[in-house]
Amino acid sequence: MPLLKIDSLEIEVEKGTTVLQAAMVNGIEIPYYCYHPALEIVGSCRMCLVEVEGMPKLQVSCNTFVGEAPPERKIEGKYDMVVNTHNDLVIQERKNVLEFLLLNHPLDCPVCDQAGECYLQDYSFKFGNAHSRFDEDKRVRPNEYLGSQIVINHNRCILCSRCIRFTREISGTSELFVEARGNKSKIAALEDKPLDNLLAGNVADICPVGALLSTDYIHKNRIWNLKKQPSVCQDCSVGCNVDVFYQKDKILRLTPRENHDVNGYFMCDIGRYGFHRFEDLDRITTPMARSNGSFSAVSWDEAIRKTADKLGDEGAKIAGIVSPFHTNETNFMLGQIINGPTGTLPQMNDEEIIYQSGFRISNDRSPNRRGMSDVCPALLEDLVSEIDNQDVRMIYVLDDGIDREIDDVWKKILAKMDFVVVQTYAMTTLAQSANIILPGPAPYEREGTITNDGGRVQWLRPSLPMKGESRADWEILMMVMKALDKDAQDFTDIGQVMKDMGEKFPAYDGLSFFRLGPHGMSLNGRANG
Amino acid sequence: MATIIKSYEPTFWDKIYIPALVKGLMVTLRHFFKRKITIQYPDEKHIPPEGYRGLHRLNKYPNDRIKCVACEMCSAACPVDCIHIVPGPSPWEGDKERYPVRFDIDLLRCIFCGFCEMACPEEAIELTEIYDFSNYTRESLLIDKEGLLEVYELTKDRNFYSRVKSKESQS
Amino acid sequence: MDLLGFIIICVKVLVVFAATMFTVLALIYAERRISAFMQGRIGPNRVGPKGILQPIADGIKFLMKEDIIPASVDKPIFILAPAILLVPAMMTFAVIPFGSNITLFGREIPLQIADVNVGILYILALTSIGVYGIVLAGWSSNNKYSLLGGLRSAAQLISYELAMGLAVISIILLAGSLKLNDIVADQQGYFFSWNVVKQPVAFLIFLVATYAETNRLPFDLSEAEQELVGGYHTEYSSMKFAMFFMAEYANMITAAALTVTLFFGGWDVPLINEASLGMVGVLLSVISFILKMAFFLFLFIWVRWTFPRFRYDQLMKLGWKVMLPIALINIFITAGYLSITALV
Repeated sequence: MPLLKIDSLEIEVEKGTTVLQAAMVNGIEIPYYCYHPALEIVGSCRMCLVEVEGMPKLQVSCNTFVGEAPPERKIEGKYDMVVNTHNDLVIQERKNVLEFLLLNHPLDCPVCDQAGECYLQDYSFKFGNAHSRFDEDKRVRPNEYLGSQIVINHNRCILCSRCIRFTREISGTSELFVEARGNKSKIAALEDKPLDNLLAGNVADICPVGALLSTDYIHKNRIWNLKKQPSVCQDCSVGCNVDVFYQKDKILRLTPRENHDVNGYFMCDIGRYGFHRFEDLDRITTPMARSNGSFSAVSWDEAIRKTADKLGDEGAKIAGIVSPFHTNETNFMLGQIINGPTGTLPQMNDEEIIYQSGFRISNDRSPNRRGMSDVCPALLEDLVSEIDNQDVRMIYVLDDGIDREIDDVWKKILAKMDFVVVQTYAMTTLAQSANIILPGPAPYEREGTITNDGGRVQWLRPSLPMKGESRADWEILMMVMKALDKDAQDFTDIGQVMKDMGEKFPAYDGLSFFRLGPHGMSLNGRANG
Repeated sequence: MATIIKSYEPTFWDKIYIPALVKGLMVTLRHFFKRKITIQYPDEKHIPPEGYRGLHRLNKYPNDRIKCVACEMCSAACPVDCIHIVPGPSPWEGDKERYPVRFDIDLLRCIFCGFCEMACPEEAIELTEIYDFSNYTRESLLIDKEGLLEVYELTKDRNFYSRVKSKESQS
Repeated sequence: MDLLGFIIICVKVLVVFAATMFTVLALIYAERRISAFMQGRIGPNRVGPKGILQPIADGIKFLMKEDIIPASVDKPIFILAPAILLVPAMMTFAVIPFGSNITLFGREIPLQIADVNVGILYILALTSIGVYGIVLAGWSSNNKYSLLGGLRSAAQLISYELAMGLAVISIILLAGSLKLNDIVADQQGYFFSWNVVKQPVAFLIFLVATYAETNRLPFDLSEAEQELVGGYHTEYSSMKFAMFFMAEYANMITAAALTVTLFFGGWDVPLINEASLGMVGVLLSVISFILKMAFFLFLFIWVRWTFPRFRYDQLMKLGWKVMLPIALINIFITAGYLSITALV
């Protein structure tokens, strides 16, 4: 393996690694704009220039590969390559490059939404000059819409071409290109094909400066006001890793989080803008009981007592409906309570999209179908006929949420029931047919584990506080369980639920949030419960 | 080692005190005839020196565009978190595409440190010479964008109190 | 005593009483104004022209205020104490001559309410009664601050009354009489016949002792705000507090009048024989008395806003170890001088 020396560090690397990668892995900072690990290397920004001994000029480290030198040409008798990243020449060169990049940059950081996470800002501060020698008028161009969700501010653009490469290599749609040449060059979308694919939101993320902006977030807030919570997207069964940016009890934006086992560096716009569905919902924040056709708020004690009175009847047949929108723990708890037929509402299918790069949007738009079937093994295929057969008169429903539409078959079944308990967060069609509504958390308020369709268990972390009197789903089910059976196991936190679940389903044995970590854990190869 | 400092040795005249007493009496007597420095506050108003940090204002351009671009540097710099800004796309045509939809300052929280003024990249927020804006309710001490712009109109020429004075002397 | 004589006495009492009360009011205003001027301020200037009605406003305020009598006080004494303090303070002025004799309705009327032949003793006695007011107020308040204030006041008065009395004795030696009229008559003439020239040491001792007697700074230990909240009047409010207040100023007036009488020739106008000028002479003598008194009242206020308060041990040390011996020596010298001159 070639032996590389960067500054004073000796590094042994694979043949074919770039100098930039070798430096990054070993904690040496080389600034860069156009390089992106998921995209082809072009070396157009010139920010990552380093000095390679033996070469007459400075080299772009992102596009300089480490190779093996013949023994007689090794430097100091052992190094295949010697690189300087912090000598005077490189430092001066970085200053010059930044001065060029900033020639036409408007320096409008106060109005720019990238400010705070802008590489141009950071590198100017760290490596740049405090002033420019450019006396002429700056080139000023108006903003343009590249697609319905993406605006480009040409003044801020440094033409790194990350966005162009993204549309060519990841989405494969090739809407973007560089128009004109030289000083007039700018990023543009094809006239008859605007940037409107379902991955378009990613170009705003990968833009290292504030040129590409998502209309969803533009002029909404400032990045340092937001808190970042690593979580998992809940809009399809792929389970993309995301960072949720929120302020107080409002989500401002979602960005993809790197996870090579799930989504790589990107996410789709369905998930990215999906959180808006849950804003300004008419939330149910207290337990409700129906009497004479209208709902009235009741206390938790009363709601649980009423539920347990009915469900605890001798010889009562109770059906349970678990939900692929809920966490493993919630579904597991309901499975423990219900002894009658258990099933789920019909799957809602959507179009499956697979992009050129292999990025996939699943046809199943529920996040946890795999996990639900893992922890509720006795799920019935045909719950409808089984309910009829067994003459079930009571039903406990974990509501799928506001996306669920009920077909006529189910409406009829629900109408027939004597007693319906619905655990939900909003007044959905299901909730309207309930006798008792128990308020739980909405998506982005839930905590627990979910399993994606590839069998990877991931940690779903709450970003927002729960509203009103609503309680965690597992906690509600535990209260019901305790009311039905005084000797039931007492869980004090969700970790104990996970432990209990692991004991009953060996595939989930030994799970903990700590073990899952930010990237989750694959179930493949584990015993299947 | 302790150093012994020779203490003051009182003379005979010091010991009988009377000259010292007379000296003291003369000091107060001198002050009795000196010019009085009291300012009769509600009648005449103290004109604060240049750089006084009083009530905030939001500046405007001559074409009436508010200078603020809602960058929130002031609220980031604020040590007591008293500035609340809601940004939005600017309704004016021109280069600055952002402006504050809401700009609220909690004057009860504010400690008038002037950090906001220093942090502002657009010279939009400034502390003026106005110091007497006390009021009876908490609500009336939450100043919003319109209020801050009104303060700008009042203090445009940096002569708030002297103008008030001349107006009073006219009437 | 005939009817006319009785009426004259009554008129004199009324005039003196009214004058004293008026002076008290004027003093309150003067005190606030002078202290403000000495501190670079303006002082009260809102009520009436230049604020001269301020004391009236203060008085009304005191009258309107709620009169609080705390639950655990000794009620009769608590109510009586301000009166015990105020009444002797007002009575003391009775023996002080404030002008030369006036001839009206064919008879010679002395401008003095009562020409008591033990005038000095009468004054010393009454000022001593005043201290009862303070001690009783402090004690009946059932409050540690008040009690401390009262006790301090008692100790202080005893200490300084001695020095004061001894200083006065040297004057009595010179005049050969306890009658204030005689003492004034003894000083008639020109400046050098005033006792302040003859007895400068006695004057200084007497002056310092009057400050202690009236509980004024630098000797206001009995009400030292920083230590004792309000001293003996901590628990008093409304008109009762106002009575303490008035008593303090009445005492000041008496003390100033006494100082003038004993050391500055009383109503004497230097180099003028008032008796030979008729009514003009009387008027001059009264004006002269008022002016001299005004100066000493001003001095009271002036000193208050100039000097800090004594520490308690310093106060006692000054009283017993400095003033008393000096006063005794002064008497010794005076008496020795008198006996030697008598022999010669």
